[in-house]
Amino acid sequence: MPAAPFDRAALPLALALALPAVGYADSGSGVDLERGNALLARRGAADAQPDARGTSWLQPGQRRSPSGHLYGCPLEPPTPERLGEWEYDGHVQLGWIGTFGDDGNALWNRYVRWDSGLVLGLMEIALRRPDDGSYADLRASRISSDDAFFEAAFGRAGSYKVQAFLRELPNGVSDSTRPIWNGVGTNELTLLPDLEPGASSSAEVAAVVAGVAPQRLQVVRSKTGIGFDAWLTPRWVAHAKVSEEQRSGARPFGGAFFYNFLFPGNAGVLETPRPVEDSTVTLETSLRYAGSRWRMEFAYDGSFYRDRYRRFRFESPFALTPTRPNATSAPIYQGQFALEPDNDYHRLRTSITRRLPWDGEFSVTAAAGRMSQDDGLIAPIDCSGTFGVDIDGSGVPGGANRFLHDCADWNTTAALSRDSADLRIDTYSFDSRFVLQPVAALQVRGGVRFNREDYRNAYLAYNPLTGDYGYITENGAQASIQAGALGTWNPLTSPSVITRVRSIPLDLQTQGANLGADWRLGERRSLGLNLDTQRDEPTNRERRRVDKDSVKLSYVDRSVESLTLRASYTGIEQGGDSYVPDPYGFAYSSSLPGFVVPGGGVPAFTVDAMRKYDLADRREHKLDLSATLALGRTATLSAGVRGDWNDYDAQIGRQAYDRHGVSLQWEWQPSPATLASVHAGADRARLVMANVADVVFGPDGSLGGPDFPDNARWWVFDKQRNFNAGVRIDHDFGPLRVDAGWNLVDARGVTAYRFASPVALAYFEDGLGGATDGRFPTMRYRVDSLSLGLSLPLSERFTLRVFDLFERGRVDDWHYLGLDTARVIDHRVYLDGGPRGYTANLIGLLLDIRL
Amino acid sequence: MHSRAIGLAGTWARRAVLALLPFLLAAPVSAQQTRDELAQRLPADFSGAQAERGARQFLAAPGFALASVARNPLAPGAEPVGEKTCIACHQLESEHFTHTLHALGLHAAAKADPSVPVCETCHGPGSLHAKDPTAKGAIIGYTRTSATPVAQQTAVCLGCHEGGARDHWAGSIHQRNDLSCSDCHNPMAKFSGDGLLAKRSINDTCAQCHNDVRQQFGRRSHMPLNEGQMSCVDCHNPHGSLTAPLLKTATVNETCYQCHAEKRGPFLFEHAPVRESCLNCHTPHGSNQHALLVAPVPFLCQQCHSQLGHPNDLQTPASLANGAHPDERLIGRACLTCHAQVHGSNAPSGPKFHE
Repeated sequence: MPAAPFDRAALPLALALALPAVGYADSGSGVDLERGNALLARRGAADAQPDARGTSWLQPGQRRSPSGHLYGCPLEPPTPERLGEWEYDGHVQLGWIGTFGDDGNALWNRYVRWDSGLVLGLMEIALRRPDDGSYADLRASRISSDDAFFEAAFGRAGSYKVQAFLRELPNGVSDSTRPIWNGVGTNELTLLPDLEPGASSSAEVAAVVAGVAPQRLQVVRSKTGIGFDAWLTPRWVAHAKVSEEQRSGARPFGGAFFYNFLFPGNAGVLETPRPVEDSTVTLETSLRYAGSRWRMEFAYDGSFYRDRYRRFRFESPFALTPTRPNATSAPIYQGQFALEPDNDYHRLRTSITRRLPWDGEFSVTAAAGRMSQDDGLIAPIDCSGTFGVDIDGSGVPGGANRFLHDCADWNTTAALSRDSADLRIDTYSFDSRFVLQPVAALQVRGGVRFNREDYRNAYLAYNPLTGDYGYITENGAQASIQAGALGTWNPLTSPSVITRVRSIPLDLQTQGANLGADWRLGERRSLGLNLDTQRDEPTNRERRRVDKDSVKLSYVDRSVESLTLRASYTGIEQGGDSYVPDPYGFAYSSSLPGFVVPGGGVPAFTVDAMRKYDLADRREHKLDLSATLALGRTATLSAGVRGDWNDYDAQIGRQAYDRHGVSLQWEWQPSPATLASVHAGADRARLVMANVADVVFGPDGSLGGPDFPDNARWWVFDKQRNFNAGVRIDHDFGPLRVDAGWNLVDARGVTAYRFASPVALAYFEDGLGGATDGRFPTMRYRVDSLSLGLSLPLSERFTLRVFDLFERGRVDDWHYLGLDTARVIDHRVYLDGGPRGYTANLIGLLLDIRL
Repeated sequence: MHSRAIGLAGTWARRAVLALLPFLLAAPVSAQQTRDELAQRLPADFSGAQAERGARQFLAAPGFALASVARNPLAPGAEPVGEKTCIACHQLESEHFTHTLHALGLHAAAKADPSVPVCETCHGPGSLHAKDPTAKGAIIGYTRTSATPVAQQTAVCLGCHEGGARDHWAGSIHQRNDLSCSDCHNPMAKFSGDGLLAKRSINDTCAQCHNDVRQQFGRRSHMPLNEGQMSCVDCHNPHGSLTAPLLKTATVNETCYQCHAEKRGPFLFEHAPVRESCLNCHTPHGSNQHALLVAPVPFLCQQCHSQLGHPNDLQTPASLANGAHPDERLIGRACLTCHAQVHGSNAPSGPKFHE
């Protein structure tokens, strides 16, 4: 049942509300500051030419920024033409692109939709009225119908600005999907005609998959927005912006009909294509004041998400078989998901800053927000007739046939404790900080901060029709395979079942403080110290208090004319109060009155030694060094070394996460006619984790105990290493300008493991060879790109641009090994074989017309 | 008020379309304006001879109305000389500067009010510099070799651009690292579409110092930065913010919700690490795993999940699709094939994110 479609009238309505309201459209809030596409980012469309005369008559070459980077050579200034009081300048690049090779590949088309055909490379038109500073700008580009943007702005410099934009952003997620369903892209997936729901064999499903032509799955984001900024007075500025983004498409998802790994020839594991059909309206408004003593800002942000569908339904082709002899499973095959609920978000924020003596400032920022949703809930199960296990062959639930259940008791919202979610999180934040410079060589700063997220309301999983607490697991599949495993607790009929009966509110309060100082050791050298402490107080987590203290030392040196050096070290220590491995008991049926402890006791929730890494004791060291070195007047060498080492105090859980890398970059700008750069970088990451398998469902959660014995312990070592390099050169050979580039990304990942004994393994037999370690095949991702562009002026108004982008990608991901030949493995169905390598070429021919 | 605003917007839209039509229809265009003509459009002097006409046309633009000659502590006795004097030597700089939004606003303001300076708004009074162009500090400079301290440079810029996105510049990591506005911005020419950046795009500007981060966007899963579809500033505010990584919002999740509003919920059944921080499982700039994950599934999940039953078994390559005993806990999306709603489920039967 589709949810109510988003009211298209909301956008103009929101805009109407926004306009009279009062930030500033810049880096302070919101997204969409810069629009572009792959054709522009990969230099398919021509850049304007650098001015051959350079920057200044007084001095050749380029100056450097305070940090030592060479400024670029200014572009050839436009020569505007007159139109009354207006001046205008503009150009349009029109032409054709063609793609060849594996041009349907999903990785090649990631975030771009290359279609052979006519394109608008770039249109830029600027109008200016010098007399009063009025202006209008238009900018547009179109690669294909799913990949384009248009933006317009008009206003008066220093007075007001109105901006509007349209944008289409494609995201290809699969190029070889072979769905076994009709209705891809909708919320109703029905099996193809050759398959019978709940009654098809693996071979029949495989045959259907083999007959399905590969399809592309993508999600396109279409966004429209308009913004308004105005200087009401020289001190007051108002800002309003409203946008609507619609997403449309489908992506691989899941679908559970219980464990196939445990029940071969049974159950069902389905990778489904879920629909993505939604819309989000975002609203930003603010009014700010900047005076000589006071600054303040009053802002409201809102976000309104609407999903076209409330529920996503799919059919399973496979039959279920009970584990109990001489019984049959009810023929259930309908699976469901609740899609993301519509949600509303409001936030009010005020920031006030007062200048202080000693070149200081004191600021206070306070905000309060609310995120809420009240989506209608879907029923616990989507079936008709019966589900469960029929042990007497009557097909009639009840009485002695106690493992067969009537769908009518569960396939309705009457089976819920309430029919809508009615959930809300209130947020509060407060930040206060000061900066003082009591003497020229010393800056002191400090602050306190507070954040809180309060959950309002909670959900109780109770069925008033049956008196059961809990939920139906895996679309009823578990109950239809394992007789009695319904997933519900009832004080009379199943008083010892342990199941989830409540939602878990995750309130979080964070408070912190920092104090720091920077000493200026010389005119261009400084040493900094920053101390920070933070206390997180989560509710219903393994720790009620997590403390994080850090110290940061930094050093900046620009005293040598040709060198800028920045270095910092940060030490972080995280700890907290006692760690409780199972704080979730209240959310389970074991907390309900009438619960009867099962014979063997209540099984342990998890191993006591588990320390979840977000809450675990941790010691972190971070080091960051960067240097920018001027090589003569025309070149710059930048180098960086960084490392981040994390040790977790955990026997089980994440134990270490280390990352370190180096990067080098050389830029050369000998003249306006030539620009070249080379970069290279390498980095490595190492993650170590430990876990332990259980051997019995017992109440003892101790590591080394009967449930989690030491011989079931195992460890994983994931190592990633990345290498990247690139070369770019632009040179003007007179009328002909050539740009060429090469880029390489080469990543490898190795996941190795070690185990104490075969008991640790999912499959005991895998460990019988004597080895106690192993590794997965290397994961690899490598992309080589070569680009070449030629720009040839044909006349004063026409320039011909020809470019070529050749790219070769290689990807190996062990998760998908074998899926290239078989998408159906027993009762498992996979949509595609994972990401694939490609060799593709893009050729473009564009005519740049100066208007 | 909004009816007036909408009316104004409509008027401008009509004017823009009418103005553009001839170009779009390839109608004959008027003669090009020469650079000399451009120079003639500048205020001739500060006598006010041209100002009267300008004042009629100029309805005060508040953003430039208070522009004044910047104070230069290193040249206490310097006096303003006016733009024409500057252009006498810096003609080429002026040609490039003329096409920036700063120039448009300052020139218009100077026409309306001749006391509004142009070059000297940012560079301070020019008389000492004019007398001795090589004297260090005689003019406020924004380059490496300038004698003007970085703090003084930023103070001049903040003189007009204070507040808003720059409200927390003081004490921010970029300020403490001695960055000047002119490390990222170059208002002397139009290099970028917007923002008067030092490079042609936001991403290129940030990559001057953060090229290692830029390279992460080349990995197998990444945000669409290298494809030009988003910029660093969609998530970060380089001018200072309330958070250490210069996020634009109060929390990591609020930043992510800007484009992923569907993840906001709240959900009937929440996943604690998801609500706490998206970065518990995802790395924001790029990953060699699927979907920006920090580690390969199922091991990503098994860092926290050791519950009794199936989550805590060690899988080997024999559980892959081409192995001796294929297992859905390892193949493809691994855990997520069944626990698909891992970001939170709104289904009454979704405590384990199956529905």
